[in-house]
Amino acid sequence: MKNAAFFIAQLLFLTALYQLSARAVSFLHIPIPASVFGMVTLLLLLLSGAVPDRFIRSGAGFLNKHLGFFFIPIAVGLMAYGELIRSDGLVLFFMIAGSSVIGLFITAGLSHFLTVKRKPKQ
Amino acid sequence: MTVVYIVLTIAVYLGARLLSIRFSSPLTTPVFTSTAAIIIVFLAGDVSYEEYIPAKNIMTFLLGPATVALAVPLYHNRAVLMERFLPAFIGITVGTMATIASAVWLSAAFGLSETIQAAAAVKAVTTPVAIEAAAIIGGDPALAAAFVMTAGIFGAVFGPPLLTIFRMKDPFSRGLAVGTVSHGIGTSQAVLEGPVQGAVSSAAMGFASIITALILPWFFPLL
Repeated sequence: MKNAAFFIAQLLFLTALYQLSARAVSFLHIPIPASVFGMVTLLLLLLSGAVPDRFIRSGAGFLNKHLGFFFIPIAVGLMAYGELIRSDGLVLFFMIAGSSVIGLFITAGLSHFLTVKRKPKQ
Repeated sequence: MTVVYIVLTIAVYLGARLLSIRFSSPLTTPVFTSTAAIIIVFLAGDVSYEEYIPAKNIMTFLLGPATVALAVPLYHNRAVLMERFLPAFIGITVGTMATIASAVWLSAAFGLSETIQAAAAVKAVTTPVAIEAAAIIGGDPALAAAFVMTAGIFGAVFGPPLLTIFRMKDPFSRGLAVGTVSHGIGTSQAVLEGPVQGAVSSAAMGFASIITALILPWFFPLL
């Protein structure tokens, strides 16, 4: 019971942090999504020790594990594009796939190459 | 009906999770199988997306807080992120520019309209940034959101196996690449692959969205 209340308090804290971030982003007119702003804010709170990580570990762990769930209702929105998918779906898929693969390989390759180059194997 | 749609979505998700644990394969990625299953049910039952929107709004209420919560794995892996800051910074920046440029060029090569090219340019980043950035460069925001979803699911499903085929074993670079090209959806899968992948992917999706918002207005006209 106590654990459940603690868990819910963590979710409320994360929600409050997100809502405050949304206000801050629109007030300051910065081109950063509220969720990213909130992520950076929480990271700073953790680094400074203002929020000890054991205070949010179970709530954050639960949300991290099920992050994919929250995208499902939004992704179902693709069904509204049935007509476009029937007419140009294959071409659009190849465009998105091709460009994602290029980005994937360049990002991973570059990060790996620069790390290995900087720290040659003994 | 809203309650029914919420129960349906949660049930499908839990089933998809069990399926992915029982049969571990890129094709059983829960975001992919759940989305496909729900769309099939709705098409068969003649349910429109509009009817589902109230349920969607309730279920996505925690998406923002869940993204904020990614700061926790970031915090736990801060040492490796600081140590490899420069390779990560360069990797994300160049990777983001490559994925934007290739999306625009491939769209043009396939003879797609300029509105579609502009929407394609933003497909790798998280929806709020994609919608705003697409509008600035003359793309359709709704179409951009659809491309973002497709790129996210593609990255979550095929990103890790493609990196494995590419013999990229380094968990840091794997997470970095998935987060850069497929934002939160890819990150939700990276978190499941391992703590380093999850942390690095979170950092990469946040950083890629900031870079995209900053460079796109001048980078897109050059393409």
